[in-house]
Amino acid sequence: MPVSVKSVGLTRIDRHYNKGVYDLAVEAVDDALKDSGAEPSYLVASTSASLLLEPQLDLASYLASHLGLRGSRALAVEAGEASGLAAILAGYRLAISTGERVLVVGVDKLSDLPSASVHAALKHVFYRYGDALYKVGHAAVAGLLASLYMDRFGVDRETMSYWPAMMHSHAKENPYAMLRFAVKPEKVATAMPVASPLTLLDMFPLGDGAAAVLLDPQGGGLAEIASVESSTGPASIAFSEDPLWLDAVEESWRRALSTAGVNGVEVLEIHDSYTIMGLLILETLRLAERGKAAELVAEGAFTVGGSGPLVNASGGLKARGHPVGATGVYMAAEVAMQLADVFPGVKADDAKTGAAVSINGHGSSAYTAIFRST
Amino acid sequence: MSGVGGLRNVEAWRTRIPRYRFLGARCKSCGKLHYPPLKACPYCGSRDLEEAQLPRQGRLLAFTSVYSVEEGGREESPIFVGLIDLGVARVVAELTDVTDPSRLAAGIPVEAVFRRISEEDDEGVIVYGVKFRPVPGAGEGD
Repeated sequence: MPVSVKSVGLTRIDRHYNKGVYDLAVEAVDDALKDSGAEPSYLVASTSASLLLEPQLDLASYLASHLGLRGSRALAVEAGEASGLAAILAGYRLAISTGERVLVVGVDKLSDLPSASVHAALKHVFYRYGDALYKVGHAAVAGLLASLYMDRFGVDRETMSYWPAMMHSHAKENPYAMLRFAVKPEKVATAMPVASPLTLLDMFPLGDGAAAVLLDPQGGGLAEIASVESSTGPASIAFSEDPLWLDAVEESWRRALSTAGVNGVEVLEIHDSYTIMGLLILETLRLAERGKAAELVAEGAFTVGGSGPLVNASGGLKARGHPVGATGVYMAAEVAMQLADVFPGVKADDAKTGAAVSINGHGSSAYTAIFRST
Repeated sequence: MSGVGGLRNVEAWRTRIPRYRFLGARCKSCGKLHYPPLKACPYCGSRDLEEAQLPRQGRLLAFTSVYSVEEGGREESPIFVGLIDLGVARVVAELTDVTDPSRLAAGIPVEAVFRRISEEDDEGVIVYGVKFRPVPGAGEGD
């Protein structure tokens, strides 16, 4: 019997000044467990930025206390921005090997501190003695990659702006998204600069959120998990022969497709912390020729009625939001809902296969989860 | 302790030598150089490495002007960062002495200089290391 996503629970991503990590996590879990009978035997928590911003060690056990799950088996997973999908990998493997139900909860809070403090914490997704040495926050590497990309492939700034525009048009329909408003592509280039050529409208918003997914080895529920895979990548873009090709993404995707026995998927959630990362992932997954992803996005290839799979119907990290340690769990929940035809936003028409692709930073690691409809 | 951004005092002292002398590692198996030095070659995975001096002259492959800087860096914003090709290796480093940002461009020659990188707090040790600057007098239009 394949492991299934039995049920999911999401909080809207927002600046939840009146809610802490435990409040958000309990809300998401209550939402996930409201219709299901048995309690999970394992709790896998994932959190990342909050470990630096509002430190709490052994979070999973304290969360178990808040959930009334005393005596459960609880542990936390941390893999930077990819933590959520890493927790899904751990939870999936646990469910397979034990035959028990596993509850995966991702939660993070980014809005309690000033953004300059958050940037200081977030830069640690990069290597401490390398790319994170200077006082440049989180965006510098994305700025370098965007600059390289435009130079090498002759892509203009305006064409890249269609990515955030598409993300916002999707997020507008998603009740869990943080930024539910439209953005015109021509507004992107002239927004506040973050790391040139990227602006604030190319970047994820700093928000809080929690997502929960109940994995059940007895099958049933929203969708089946066909595979979860991962790969590590280079420690810096400087160590990559071609920093515009994401080795870890390619390898995790190849492994996941091979294990699942599929050639591709119809609905996808991918990591677009910055516009450039979304474009590079599309190209590494071979959904666009090199240097052509932005053009395809502008032509509407990855939205409803497009030629490609439906990508980031949630609005992506850009507009749904990116509560760092929770993001991968959101992705998994959203893809499962799409396959069950219950996603409350932009819908993939009758999709049978879907995937979530999450990375840390520039691709120091990548995770791919593939789902199929039940 | 001032926030979560920079190196801690003891850590800064312990890790100073490669930063001060711009020392990377050469892989005895595949011959490639990298900086900062890891415990294994980032290209072939070999653990058989030796210390190696990095060249101080290179070319800018790409640069970015960073505005969303972290605490402690706001007065210096924007901070310029480059991906630099040293021939035998590439590095990501802060760019300094950028008096005219309009002259930053892919391909311009840059050179390593020894500079202040950060400090833990008012009483903390100052972290020094390598930044790169456009080679004076070598830019376009000179």
